[in-house]
Amino acid sequence: MRILVIEDDVVISELICMNLEAAGYEPLPVFDGIGAQQGIRDGMFDDAALALVDVMLPGKDGFALMEDLQAAQIPVIYLTAKDDVLSKVHGLKSGAEDYIVKPFEILELLVRMEKVLKRTGRGRERIRVRDVVIDLKEHSVTKAGERVSLKPMEYELLVTLAEHKNVALSREELLSRLWGTDYVGETRTVDVHIGQLRKKLDFHDVIRTVSKTGYRLEDLG
Amino acid sequence: MKLRMKVSLITAVTLLAGSLVSGAAVIYRSSLYTREKTMESGRQQTEAAAYAVGKELEYELMAYFTDSTLASYYDYVLQKYGDSRYILIEGEEVVCNRTGYEVKDPADMRWASRSVIQRSGDRYLLLVGRKVPVSGSREYKLLWIQDITSVYEDVYRQSLFCFGICAGVSFLAALLVYAAVGRVLSPMRELQRAAQDISGGDLARRAGVRSRDEIGMLARSFNEMAERIEGQVAALSQESERRRQMLGSLAHEMKTPMTSIMGYADSLLHVNLREEQRVRALSHIHEECGRLGRLGSKLMSLLGMYDNDSIQMEEVALQEVFDRVARAEEAHLREKGVTLRQSCEMGVRRMDRDLFESLLINLIDNGIKASREGGVIELSASGEQITIQDHGCGIPEQEIARVTEAFYMVDKARSRREGGSGLGLALCERIAQLHEAKLRIESVVGEGTTVTIVFYKTFTS
Repeated sequence: MRILVIEDDVVISELICMNLEAAGYEPLPVFDGIGAQQGIRDGMFDDAALALVDVMLPGKDGFALMEDLQAAQIPVIYLTAKDDVLSKVHGLKSGAEDYIVKPFEILELLVRMEKVLKRTGRGRERIRVRDVVIDLKEHSVTKAGERVSLKPMEYELLVTLAEHKNVALSREELLSRLWGTDYVGETRTVDVHIGQLRKKLDFHDVIRTVSKTGYRLEDLG
Repeated sequence: MKLRMKVSLITAVTLLAGSLVSGAAVIYRSSLYTREKTMESGRQQTEAAAYAVGKELEYELMAYFTDSTLASYYDYVLQKYGDSRYILIEGEEVVCNRTGYEVKDPADMRWASRSVIQRSGDRYLLLVGRKVPVSGSREYKLLWIQDITSVYEDVYRQSLFCFGICAGVSFLAALLVYAAVGRVLSPMRELQRAAQDISGGDLARRAGVRSRDEIGMLARSFNEMAERIEGQVAALSQESERRRQMLGSLAHEMKTPMTSIMGYADSLLHVNLREEQRVRALSHIHEECGRLGRLGSKLMSLLGMYDNDSIQMEEVALQEVFDRVARAEEAHLREKGVTLRQSCEMGVRRMDRDLFESLLINLIDNGIKASREGGVIELSASGEQITIQDHGCGIPEQEIARVTEAFYMVDKARSRREGGSGLGLALCERIAQLHEAKLRIESVVGEGTTVTIVFYKTFTS
């Protein structure tokens, strides 16, 4: 899935792209407003599922690109150092799906992107992790073509890890996302389900325990 | 009490007192004169009457008159000449009295030639006595009595009238002065309102007073003062706005490296990166920390320069400065393949050696960044100016005015790659100011930039 990254600071652009790539997206970096506008108008980014747009851009600012992005039906998340309320309101009112203030955490960025993608009906239908394919529509998991039966919570856990692959998720994060906030503290529950997944999918070296953090589904394929 | 009230009261009192005194003097003089006149005419009348009566009393048959006949005769004579105003005294006895008054001491010889004003009850009487010139043994005195109360009443009425006039005039004068002072002082009230408005925050308010008197002068001075205050307040708020913007830009500028540092550190901690990505993340963190450090130290020098104590002006030979700058830039120039050509036709100048060197180094650095490999930068000094010229990419025309603003970057992405923070030219401008000079930047896109340090005051030895 291609994500348009319009950010003039090369270092930050590389940071975003690096993480998007790790999470299984295909980033398309663009470094200035005019180039981005040209590209959008030329239809170069028509297959982009989402655009991450910096507000302060040379040439044309991020707000000025909104019209073209909407015309190309690419949902927009603004990424900006401007954290005043007015800019946020302006950004969201102009039709942006979300507004993320720098500095941001990688996980936050990924979660928000995923929310936007789902809301706009561009969520992934299928996630592939090595020989395992998760069909999000059918709620089914196959390993090397053979169906693997998972309990509902095991399936949810696998989807969450796969959606943020290569990014570490803490036990607390997983617990509150999957079981709800009432379960806070019962981190053993997560460990048990992780154990089940590893066994059923033979993911002992795929779902890694990251010390002091939690778990990470690793796949740099 | 208000000023106009005071002035009109003082006017009224002064006028009243003055006119009363002069009125009283005039009335006094005229009353004296009237009395004198009355007495004089009384004397003349009595004189004439005495003469006439004397003639009558020389009637030879009188000797044969009986007392009662004599009394009737006297009565007849007095009635003939003077009606009811005379008293005739023979020797020491009143022989005929046609007045309503009585003589206390008819024997008093003063009645022979005396005129006096006597007071009797609330009446004023004029008494004039004359000896009647008559031959014979008898001696007669004629006493004339006239009620002159009316003369005194006249004086009283006049005084009353005069007082009324004075009071009326004073009152009118007070009213006039009240109105006039009000008119004269109305610019004062305008001035006072203007002062109130200004202290209430309306700094653009001016006193609308156009008179040419002292109040007008005061108003003009007042307006000039208000002008200055407004100007200074504007300058102050401009300065604080400038600083606010600079701090805002600073916060923003710090955010960018912070975002990178936090982001890469976060990625290293939580994301499964490939080995080469890890190395890149680490080197980015290293670079961005360096950028933060440079930003900090440049900012320190920018702020430090607001305090003039740390600046040490001394006589320095410019050629020496050029040589040191060239040495400092040697490595940088070689790395980029750029040549620095210099020519110095300026002698000794007063400057802070360190600051001035960093000014030149900054400008040359900018030139190097803009230059292509193999480019040439010319550093030359002649007359009252130093020129740094490069043949690099140039600055777009609409950006030139803003390049000396703190944190302003024409090409953000490229400037970041070169390690710029956007503080360089703001700093240069500041150093130039400290050396009584200004920066003139001329540039043509694609042809290069010329920065000229123009001294507008000479400090040569």
